[in-house]
Amino acid sequence: MYVFICEDTIDGIFTAVYNAWDSHLGHKNIYILAKEPENYELFCEYIRVETDLEKSKKVADTIKRRLGVTVYTTLCEAIMAEEPCPKKTSRMNAADTFSITKADAFYRTLLYAFSMENPTRIMECLGNPYVLYLFELSRNVHTEAHHLLGFLRFQELQNGILFAETHPKNYVLPILGDHFSDRLPGENFMIYDKNRKLALIHRAGIKNFLITDASSINQEMIHNYSASELEYQKLWCGFFESITIEARKNPKLQNQNIPKRFQKDAVEFQK
Amino acid sequence: MQIQENMSIMEKLQILSDAAKYDVACTSSGVDRKGDGKGMGNCIAPGICHTFSGDGRCVSLLKILFTNECIFNCSYCQNNCNNDIPRASFTPDEVCSLTMEFYRRNYIEGLFLSSGILVSPNYTMDLIYQTLYKLRVECHFNGYIHVKAIPGADPALIERAGFLADRMSINLELPTANSLKELAPCKSRRTILTPMRQIQNGIHDNTLLLGDTSYKGSQPLSTKTRSSQKFVPAGQSTQMIIGATPENDYQIMSVAEGLYQKFELKRVFYSAFVNVNEDASLPVLPGGPPLLREHRLYQADWLLRFYNFSVNELLSEDNPNFNIYLDPKCDWALRHLEYFPVEINRADYNTLLRVPGIGAKSARRIIQARRTTRLDFADLKKIGVVLKRALYFITCSGKMMYRTKLDENYICENLLRDKTQIPKEIRESGYKQISLFDVGMTEPPQPVSLAMIT
Ligand code: SF4
Repeated sequence: MYVFICEDTIDGIFTAVYNAWDSHLGHKNIYILAKEPENYELFCEYIRVETDLEKSKKVADTIKRRLGVTVYTTLCEAIMAEEPCPKKTSRMNAADTFSITKADAFYRTLLYAFSMENPTRIMECLGNPYVLYLFELSRNVHTEAHHLLGFLRFQELQNGILFAETHPKNYVLPILGDHFSDRLPGENFMIYDKNRKLALIHRAGIKNFLITDASSINQEMIHNYSASELEYQKLWCGFFESITIEARKNPKLQNQNIPKRFQKDAVEFQK
Repeated sequence: MQIQENMSIMEKLQILSDAAKYDVACTSSGVDRKGDGKGMGNCIAPGICHTFSGDGRCVSLLKILFTNECIFNCSYCQNNCNNDIPRASFTPDEVCSLTMEFYRRNYIEGLFLSSGILVSPNYTMDLIYQTLYKLRVECHFNGYIHVKAIPGADPALIERAGFLADRMSINLELPTANSLKELAPCKSRRTILTPMRQIQNGIHDNTLLLGDTSYKGSQPLSTKTRSSQKFVPAGQSTQMIIGATPENDYQIMSVAEGLYQKFELKRVFYSAFVNVNEDASLPVLPGGPPLLREHRLYQADWLLRFYNFSVNELLSEDNPNFNIYLDPKCDWALRHLEYFPVEINRADYNTLLRVPGIGAKSARRIIQARRTTRLDFADLKKIGVVLKRALYFITCSGKMMYRTKLDENYICENLLRDKTQIPKEIRESGYKQISLFDVGMTEPPQPVSLAMIT
């Protein structure tokens, strides 16, 4: 068995697929892993993959052309997922030395798709365990991202920048970036993924955004609110209080609809 | 009336959001609009929930009244002019800055602006229009706006506001004209249904409705401030209060059906009555607001909109109320056992839709999947069919899942054992278990007076 070890990013996994394909080692003999192996197997050869943007782009273009943009988006979402998948429906086969993980599932799904008459329908083939696994991952990412489109909270800092801190399970920053740069084109904003220590940065008037390492983010700066920030937080919390109909009070339903892990970053739930 | 001068924004916001909260609609759905690259905001068709209030409801919009200094006296409403409560009014600027600042911080998807009637319907509608104008044209706000049309206001004002809003609604309030006369003497079916019809026509024509070109020049939209100059693109909705008056479910659903068919409404909302005024002439409902009844009405509404049911199939003069213990589809199936069992591998889409436990998605998947294989019960489970409900009503290749009887009482008993018949959120809200005998629906059937609707 040849194990290709790559970075846990879209470019990393795309490059690994390119290299694996190019290696002519036989698809059966290949396993792609997007993290360090937990223990090294005796009869395996481990091959490190150097992320290569050019190769990655070739893979991306091929997928878009043959499988369509919708499938491409779904696959990218799946790759943005954090493993293990909490739904645990990955139908792992105990007999497999190598269980289903996203990078390898992605590779197998592509192989399967390219063998189909109409590869654009690949995501309907839920009988295939690899496709099913990616489908579940992508749904998971999609749901979390959609939640955060609503639950994310910006705070205005002294310098006028809007700053949001969040603790997502999955790597959803790119999805948030697309949404908020379309919505708030005239704002300078930053979304800080504290779990991954990454920051998404958008500059007013610029269509794009960038995601960068933020392990050394200036703690003082991000707690230095503008003069009116606390005022608006108070107004929002006041609104949030008074909008509840006492006769229908139902905290269980509330917690079910906005899970506790999102509450901790939402100002209206801070005491 | 207590009107205070120099009230802070905080006080106003508290009064005017508290006063708006019984309006149930809070969705930001129905319109997809990209950002325009300059102003602030975009819209996503399925809508986005930004938080959930203490009663578990989605908060998507800044839901406020423009004013609660109301000259009307609707007895179910806490803002009625006879009530001694704190009063407040916003200015258009105040509403704009709250909306913009909340939106920037991602608290909300947009604004839901309703209002009591200050001075006169026209005066109020004009203030609402001015607010929307400022928000769209001066603040370049491109997010979602749901606005109330004020009953009795000049159609020209309603029209102008409609070109700036995404959704417009005018509440029917009560299911029959009689109840309306009794509880809301200043409103009438006419002042409610006329603007409703006007909005409907406006959505159709999407042009100036009145042929009145005199104000075209002052139309903000001719200044090309919004990319899409559509009239109420997300459609209109309305709301009825449930349980304040004696109408039965048959009457209420007939009205809803009329509104969907004749007025092409996007949504009808049902609001369980809360006796805020402790008004002695209005009922005090022993179990609190009738949440379970409200839930059944929403389920039935769903059957009308997505399952091709008509009200006359679900209810009748002789059987005017839903069985509160069963969802309306199970209830219907039990009374129509002659249609069952349905063979999964053969039945058409509409027949499948009517089987309890099979939703629209599962019905579609069944049709898709059986093209290549014969389906059995294990497949149905994977597809997402709720077998514990469906099993009494279906066969797969001629076989039932277990040996069961196609008998009303037998199936009913089994279905009632399933506690999910009463949704979790109502079970857990401390909904009192009333015995079957307590729900003897003894109200005498009222003559249905739907002259303008049906
Ligand atoms: S018009 Fe009637 S329902 Fe509306 S605020 Fe006034 S009293 Fe309340």
